[in-house]
Amino acid sequence: METMRTTFRVNGKDVELDVEPRRLLVSVLREELGLTGTHIGCDTTNCGACAVVVDGKAIKSCTMLAVQADGKEILTIEGLTKDGTLHHVQRAFLEKHGLQCGFCTPGMIVMSYWLLNQNQNWGEEEIKKRLSGNLCRCTGYRDIIACIRYAKELMRGERE
Amino acid sequence: MMGESESFVRGAGKYVDDITLPHMLHMAVARSPYARAKVLSVSGGMNRDDLKAPIGGFGEGGRRDVNPAILHPVFAQDTVNYVGQPVAAVFANDRYAAEDKLDEIDVEYDKLKPILTIEDALSGEGGPLHAGTTSNIIKQSWMGADFDDPASPIMLEDQFMIGRIVSNPLEPRGIIADYDGSTITVYISTQAVFSIKDGLCSTLGLDSSKVRVIQADTGGAFGVKSALYPEYVMAVCAALKYRKPVKWIESRSEHLAASQPGRGVRGTMKLFADTDGKVLAVRGEVTTDAGAFGGSSGTSSPFFVAMQLTGPYGIENARVLATSVMTNKPPQGPYRGAGRPEAAFFMERMMDLLADTLGKEVDEVRLINTTTHRFTSPLGLEIDASRPFFERAVVELQYREKSIRDAAGLGFFVLVPAVMPGESARIRVHNGTVDVWLGGNQHGQEHFTFVKRLLSEELAIPENLITLNNGDTAALKDGVGSWGSRSALVGGAAVIAAARELKSQVESRLGGYTAEGLLEDSFDAEVFDGHTRQLNSFGANLATISIDNYGMVKVKECAACYDVGRALSPNVVEGQIIGGSIQGIGQVLYESVVHDSEGRLLTKNLSDAGVPIAENTPEFFTTIVERPSSFVHRAKGLGEAPTIGVPIAVVRAIEQISGKRIRHTPVRPEELIEDSDA
Repeated sequence: METMRTTFRVNGKDVELDVEPRRLLVSVLREELGLTGTHIGCDTTNCGACAVVVDGKAIKSCTMLAVQADGKEILTIEGLTKDGTLHHVQRAFLEKHGLQCGFCTPGMIVMSYWLLNQNQNWGEEEIKKRLSGNLCRCTGYRDIIACIRYAKELMRGERE
Repeated sequence: MMGESESFVRGAGKYVDDITLPHMLHMAVARSPYARAKVLSVSGGMNRDDLKAPIGGFGEGGRRDVNPAILHPVFAQDTVNYVGQPVAAVFANDRYAAEDKLDEIDVEYDKLKPILTIEDALSGEGGPLHAGTTSNIIKQSWMGADFDDPASPIMLEDQFMIGRIVSNPLEPRGIIADYDGSTITVYISTQAVFSIKDGLCSTLGLDSSKVRVIQADTGGAFGVKSALYPEYVMAVCAALKYRKPVKWIESRSEHLAASQPGRGVRGTMKLFADTDGKVLAVRGEVTTDAGAFGGSSGTSSPFFVAMQLTGPYGIENARVLATSVMTNKPPQGPYRGAGRPEAAFFMERMMDLLADTLGKEVDEVRLINTTTHRFTSPLGLEIDASRPFFERAVVELQYREKSIRDAAGLGFFVLVPAVMPGESARIRVHNGTVDVWLGGNQHGQEHFTFVKRLLSEELAIPENLITLNNGDTAALKDGVGSWGSRSALVGGAAVIAAARELKSQVESRLGGYTAEGLLEDSFDAEVFDGHTRQLNSFGANLATISIDNYGMVKVKECAACYDVGRALSPNVVEGQIIGGSIQGIGQVLYESVVHDSEGRLLTKNLSDAGVPIAENTPEFFTTIVERPSSFVHRAKGLGEAPTIGVPIAVVRAIEQISGKRIRHTPVRPEELIEDSDA
């Protein structure tokens, strides 16, 4: 099958690939770049386990072709950890029990990170609404919401 | 390495789809588009010409004592019996290419009219699904001794239906099979490596010393990942045939169409009582829609439901007809609770009806039926005195206040964990580190927390030296599995038994036990800690709700009061309760499996299937009662409690607000609108 030369930046590294135009971004991230932290939980864009940030916007990487990411900057769960140190959102999920089986976790963390970058003043109901595209079957969401609240405190603590 | 949650927040978990082996093939599966049809011809791929073997009942609730004619074939043979049933498999170097190759499969079908309901299956119309059988009943028998109907003033009858639910763990099913010319190594997302190994060996006639099953990190299961499935057998066959590793990862569409859904149980109840509300006798019928084949937990489901039917009450007379029937839908399997929620729903709905009939409070009618001593029901359910717990739970849940203020619903139940036959554990000490394996495999319940706590207590060693490894049949002689609220209970007891064996090894080598002595040398202890008696516990739930003009129900408050014995990891206990509660809410308000009149699945994505979202989360209140069990670590079961107790509390609350009697789940908004005649 024909391929297209595609260039993008993932977690701060430039990548150049020959990609079949039909391949989804999530497939390329996982299978060609080995970034398996981005998960596939459905094939209908319902679950959000594949959430990544593309040019500053959270997207579901199962709903974007890899060739559409040409020239763009991508952040995955692996890119949140800097020099082995967890991002505040990752730390919050770990310390406040924001996960059980862990499968939805990378998508949840990426989405939470993006939400907190958008607006740290959203209340609980606003957060819940914005998290409704990310499914978790284990936790019942309560602890995830609490983690986002805690991550907000950690981020504020850092600024002050 | 599972469970040390830090790898998961980094995105460094190793789920089965994250594993890549050299020269690996990807498998895609061609499936039946019809609920019932004759298969006139199949060409292309691996198909019925390559393998005739059927799959027996392996995993939670599986039964092998059924007519071989009704077992699930790996590849469809002369007929297909549900939409999604595997017909053929293709293999390619990459997932996209494997999907492309499905075009090479050519199947000729002769469509038949499907049997889709319990009623149709029992009617006999449409004939038996499988050649060599005369009816669509898998198993049927009476439970409990017969009795003369009591001459009681109150006799109430009703019928209930709990609809099917797909487990829908966020990680779908998946397997890699690898053959090196001598041994088959399987990496799999599972609750039970030994069920998978036993099932593969039995189905394919493999020597058990040549098969090793290793659990990858497992992203949830809720019952759906203990069974042996056709795709697993296909992957192993292909690995043997092509001498290359073969990976199959289920798509969500496949999960919804062709994994084993839970529930699908009908209950008919007849209750005899006196005017005080004391229940004198129960007659019942429990019928499970077991789907298209025998051998799965659908075969045993109605018997397990029937056994629990008297719940936490001291009812002296009970007799139940239990029946499993076949329909043209995927085989039924366990889903969190697996028979327990159904039994509680049937009895608690009758308790509410009894209270309403007598004009009494629902807690009053329940109280009068609790026991003040240990009681074995006519159906074989063993319970402790239930009155002390119930009296406390009504107070803890503030039922009376909330009943008046918010028309709260109440539910009371007994949790029957799958204690028997016990579980295995192994502890190996080497180079100052402690490695642990359990027969039952964690898939989100964080077993590592209780393993670390119990071992640090028993062996006086720091928790950070202890690692709980993923399931591996090469690390243990045998094992059971993780399901039925059993892991902290029997897995925890097995860990202590293994620790004590380890201590006695240290004592006999060094003349006495010290943690330093243990850690400075190498030791290895494996036990199977057997159990032969039920160890049941009580729980109660309360719920308050509101209903808007469109019939949409919102659960406002969801409160739990459970006796968990000693809470080994309080935040994990809390997490299990909250997570299970929203699944209970899902059963009542959102989740369903809907087929059209031709048996084609309509609930084809996670939204249509109704998996709850963050906005569905109510306010939670939990009360943990720690009444110690008779087990060595004093723990009790927990995981399924919320899926038993929450639905019965929520439906009662809906009934109170809407004024409409609720007889089934899910409850649809259109049923609750004022002038609806639904």
